Amino acid sequence: MGWLANLVSTGTLSQVLVGLSRTTILFIVSSGLTLILGVLRIPNVAHGSLYMLGAFSAYTVISLLGGGLSGFLAALVIAPMIVAAFGFVLERGFFSYLYDREHLMLLLLTFSFALIIGDLVKIVWGSEYRSVTVPEFFQGSAEIFGLPIPYYNLFLLLIGPFIAVFLWLVINRTKMGKIARAAAVDAEMVSAVGINVGWVFAFTFVLGCFLAGLGGALIAPMVNISLGMDHSLIMEAFLIVIMGGLGNIWGALLGSLIFGLTQSLGILIWPQFGIVFPYLAVVVVLFFRPKGLLSSTW
Amino acid sequence: MKKTHVALFLLLAALCSLPLFLPRFYTYIAAIVLLTALLATSLNLAIGYGGIYQFHHAVFYGIGAYGTALMLTRTPMPAALGLLVGPLVSALLSLVMGVICIRLSKLYFGMLQISLGSLVWATVYRWYSFTGGDDGIHGIPLPDRIATPDGAYYYTLAVTALCFFAMHRIVGSPFGKTLQGIRDNPVRSSAIGVHVKAHQLVALVIAGLFGGVAGSLFVVVNNSVFPDMMFWTFSLEVLIMCLLGGMYTFFGPLAGASILVLLRVFVSVYTQYWSLLLGAILTLVIIFLPDGVLGYAVRRFRPGEGRRA
Amino acid sequence: MLRVESVVKSFGGFKAVNGANLEVGAGEIVAVIGPNGAGKTTLFHLITGHLSPDSGRILFKDREIAGLPPHVLCRMGITRSFQVVNIFQRLTVFENVQIAVLSRERKTFRIFSAVQGMAAEEVHSILRNVGLYEQRDVESDLLSHGDQKVLEIAVALGGKPELLILDEPTAGMAPEETERCIRLIRKLSDEFGLTILFCEHDMGLVFEIAKRIMVMVRGGTVVQGSREEVRRNREVQDAYLGETGEC
Repeated sequence: MGWLANLVSTGTLSQVLVGLSRTTILFIVSSGLTLILGVLRIPNVAHGSLYMLGAFSAYTVISLLGGGLSGFLAALVIAPMIVAAFGFVLERGFFSYLYDREHLMLLLLTFSFALIIGDLVKIVWGSEYRSVTVPEFFQGSAEIFGLPIPYYNLFLLLIGPFIAVFLWLVINRTKMGKIARAAAVDAEMVSAVGINVGWVFAFTFVLGCFLAGLGGALIAPMVNISLGMDHSLIMEAFLIVIMGGLGNIWGALLGSLIFGLTQSLGILIWPQFGIVFPYLAVVVVLFFRPKGLLSSTW
Repeated sequence: MKKTHVALFLLLAALCSLPLFLPRFYTYIAAIVLLTALLATSLNLAIGYGGIYQFHHAVFYGIGAYGTALMLTRTPMPAALGLLVGPLVSALLSLVMGVICIRLSKLYFGMLQISLGSLVWATVYRWYSFTGGDDGIHGIPLPDRIATPDGAYYYTLAVTALCFFAMHRIVGSPFGKTLQGIRDNPVRSSAIGVHVKAHQLVALVIAGLFGGVAGSLFVVVNNSVFPDMMFWTFSLEVLIMCLLGGMYTFFGPLAGASILVLLRVFVSVYTQYWSLLLGAILTLVIIFLPDGVLGYAVRRFRPGEGRRA
Repeated sequence: MLRVESVVKSFGGFKAVNGANLEVGAGEIVAVIGPNGAGKTTLFHLITGHLSPDSGRILFKDREIAGLPPHVLCRMGITRSFQVVNIFQRLTVFENVQIAVLSRERKTFRIFSAVQGMAAEEVHSILRNVGLYEQRDVESDLLSHGDQKVLEIAVALGGKPELLILDEPTAGMAPEETERCIRLIRKLSDEFGLTILFCEHDMGLVFEIAKRIMVMVRGGTVVQGSREEVRRNREVQDAYLGETGEC
């Protein structure tokens, strides 16, 4: 029963906390995905590539500005903006003309962009992986429950709720956000009332891309920045969004929590098949709630 | 119709003679083209003719391949049985997944299938002891006659031709017509007495079966299997083949698969940015040729036939 | 043949059908009329299985059918046409009706026979009856609106129904097309003995061919009776006929 002992040790708690910090990034990325899905009705397969673009951009910004705290924080702002600008071009240049197509077509279109962005990254940054060291400010760990938790993970844990609240404010308290919510439910009505739905879509898409880029920038110090990080992430983000309810931000949060926790606990219980647990969780959830845990906008 | 028969006969004859004057590598590529065309056409049964959002078809391809590979490497059973078991397992999996997913429609069906498919992929990816994990299985033993490149090619050609013939019959059968009716108007179909879900389930099993056959053919041609065969991005690539060639024509996926496989092989010689090219092509096709290459050709050169499948 | 008793159906808080009653005898032509939003189409959806009633009974040949799915009801002998044209757009006129016939003959799971020309005799006969034989090979998408509505009826006939339900069969039709439709409905009733239930906004049509008329207002049945009974009914006059000025 070694796994049981494993489970209830303090090692579990530290694993859980580490898992939760990964949840933050999953949440940020999948909230962007669910926004785009909910308002624009586009399953954005390119979302993972945008995340990867964010990571690589952060790497470049940090390389240019030096590895200190200011460089890192600048990267956290600039990299997502680069990705957002990219998204703006994509939306205005391509998607805006094709909204009346079937979902399948839009999905494949985003897949083609994923392919293109993937290779663009390869062209600009090459095939070797990059790494970014955690800025000095965040180096080291704190003692929680008698075990070391890296400061950076704590940082991620803390900003997660901030981002969630910030998003909530944008969606519910700003004019643009409210219009976007209305458009998610009935875009035709919104335009019938005289509002330019095009700009609503553009705004939402750009925000979604910004979030993808932010996720990429945040994960940069924690992993090897490499080609292929788009593929693994897009699968997870989609499953989270499906699990949480299409278009539902809180659903994205809930889904990310479930995903992150089942993955961490899974690895503890059964190291070899740890990564299977989140997928299993998704299937179980969908079996009982096929449209996701929380209400979707569809 | 007679003209099409002649054209097909000529094509078949040409394909039979390929190994006689092509170097080994190109024979191998030709075999890959054939089985990929089979895979794409099997997907099209579900998505083009059935209107079902089959987003993760590669699972059936992969399971068919793994089923065959495991039978050939881990059991003393004769090869013929192994080659049969693979597709049967994927048909069974298709039935199970279908029963689970069929309650939902459209996009939700696709999403649930992606989830289930990913679960299968993740399991295969991690089960090192049984499936070889991310290494896959290599050096699969085959009977002498089909172990050679030419032998593998002829075997693939024969099986593919047979399957195409079978699928064509299915499409032109009462079941096929009913399925297309369900695709165009499920409400109407139900109102004339058609049990929509039952028919869709049958379509899924057939699609899964032929996808599994394509997988078993891959084992013969390539002697190995690996988990990427059932990764989601490959499912999307197969979807692209259907779209590129034309989802509402029978030979569209064949055309799409041929173009894509051949392009990839020849382009990769000159550049490593194959994904970029594929993405660009796909973008152009979606914007300008939503009916696919063959669909466009049909509309342009045979306007009377319209969009009939 | 068909009896609807106190059927209720709500959506959210809104009662679309609130205590509707209907009786259709074998071989009759019965019309349901009422102002827009009275619940006629909802009632039809309840009868044909596209919706389930919250309460009440629906009996077909004395069998309880409420809540049964459409494909089961079709086998029992109830088929319908839809208000908004609902045909197989990509298929030809012939193929549209053919599927209906094949479905009735339970041949839809046949994988290995060729469908070309199957059941041709019966399909041609139906098409000749409705007047679409000339266009049998035209893609149904390309038909005129009026012809598409007639095709709707033809497809419903493919199931050899006993009870044919038509939801606004002449909506959007030009006058000549409406005339044609009226003659078709008469023919189906006189020559083939079909029981026909339909709803319409065209009062002239209704009073011309319906033997009995049921009037729905706000989800409930106000009256069901002969033409004279309906015309004389005070409530009907107030709620409905008075507005349109038809009498």
